[in-house]
Amino acid sequence: MECRQANVLIHEYLDGDLDELSNQHLQIHLQGCEACRRKLHEFQLAVVYVQSTSHVHVSADFTARVLAQLPTPTKASQFSKWLRHHPFLAAAAVFLVLMTGSLTASWFETDDTLQVSSSNLDKLKIDKERNVVIVPSDVTIEGDLVVRNGSVEVQGQVQGNVVAIEGKVFKASTAQIAGEAESIEAIFDWIWYEMKNIGNDLLPVTP
Amino acid sequence: MEFVEKRLMERAKRGDRDAFAELIEIYKDKIFQLAYRMVGNRQEAEDIAQETFLRVYANLQTYDESYKFSTWIYRIATNLCIDRGRKKRPDFSLDEQVEGTEGLDWYSRLSSSDKTPEEKVVTQELQETVQQALDQLAPKYRSIMILRYIEDLSLQEISDVLKLPVSTIKTRIHRGREALRGRLQFR
Repeated sequence: MECRQANVLIHEYLDGDLDELSNQHLQIHLQGCEACRRKLHEFQLAVVYVQSTSHVHVSADFTARVLAQLPTPTKASQFSKWLRHHPFLAAAAVFLVLMTGSLTASWFETDDTLQVSSSNLDKLKIDKERNVVIVPSDVTIEGDLVVRNGSVEVQGQVQGNVVAIEGKVFKASTAQIAGEAESIEAIFDWIWYEMKNIGNDLLPVTP
Repeated sequence: MEFVEKRLMERAKRGDRDAFAELIEIYKDKIFQLAYRMVGNRQEAEDIAQETFLRVYANLQTYDESYKFSTWIYRIATNLCIDRGRKKRPDFSLDEQVEGTEGLDWYSRLSSSDKTPEEKVVTQELQETVQQALDQLAPKYRSIMILRYIEDLSLQEISDVLKLPVSTIKTRIHRGREALRGRLQFR
């Protein structure tokens, strides 16, 4: 092998690219060629010298100086940073947004048909012409009676609350209502009613 | 490591300065080291390192996530070094006194491990010789030698940083080694 050829192999060897066979050829050449042997050694030394240059470090206040030069953050990112630093307030804000959202949605989504919810639907009389739900005088309704888009006329007994949404509650003299009777006609009443329900569900022992 | 950097990048992208500060902490010495060996001047190297991070910040939104973050930041820094070198040759000596610190030159701030004075002198001379040999290389060879042997990047990583084929990187490393061997004048 000529020294020129060997030189190419030496570089491949230093890059760790040399295959087994070429490596054999190179080793044989190196054994017989003092000049190439010295060359390889000097390449290795050069690399070691470059690698051994001492590690330099930036001045201690480098990071602070770079940060000081950054453009000022936008309002939006400041807000999101504030939120991250106040997780409880953030959670409360999210809760409020979702709450009002779902409440107003359930208010506006309602249609005009008469809706009744009660556990004793079969005992109720419904007067479609007047849009009134009647609790007959000889009847006892267990639990709450909720009517939407209509009024309620109570002649008998109700053992829970009577609620008329977008309607009125009429009580006959024979009426007996164990809970409260209320009519809800505006959105604020509605929100208040829902809040109260949540409150009642969370604290079941309210008087 | 890569995963950590990715997370930090995402946070920095959303305007989180603390995350960006962490990225600076991870890379400041590597980038400074590259710049210092490229320009051979501490002050200028710090300027370049600073400019590198400011550019990273300014381009966070357009960062292509298919690249490794290290590849991207090394590319920005290397380009800055080569541009800077075109404008000005180094005019700063390591023997210059540090302002306000009598009798101290930059070496005393550069060397980290404790050595006897004689050893220190030898090391300093060698350091200077190596830096001079690097300075004499053309920037396109110098940057590759630094990335390969000081920053310890693989041939593939260097190829990604410089957007050049691996074969070109190899050729330049071979020539770089030839030149360094000639400049370091072993006897």
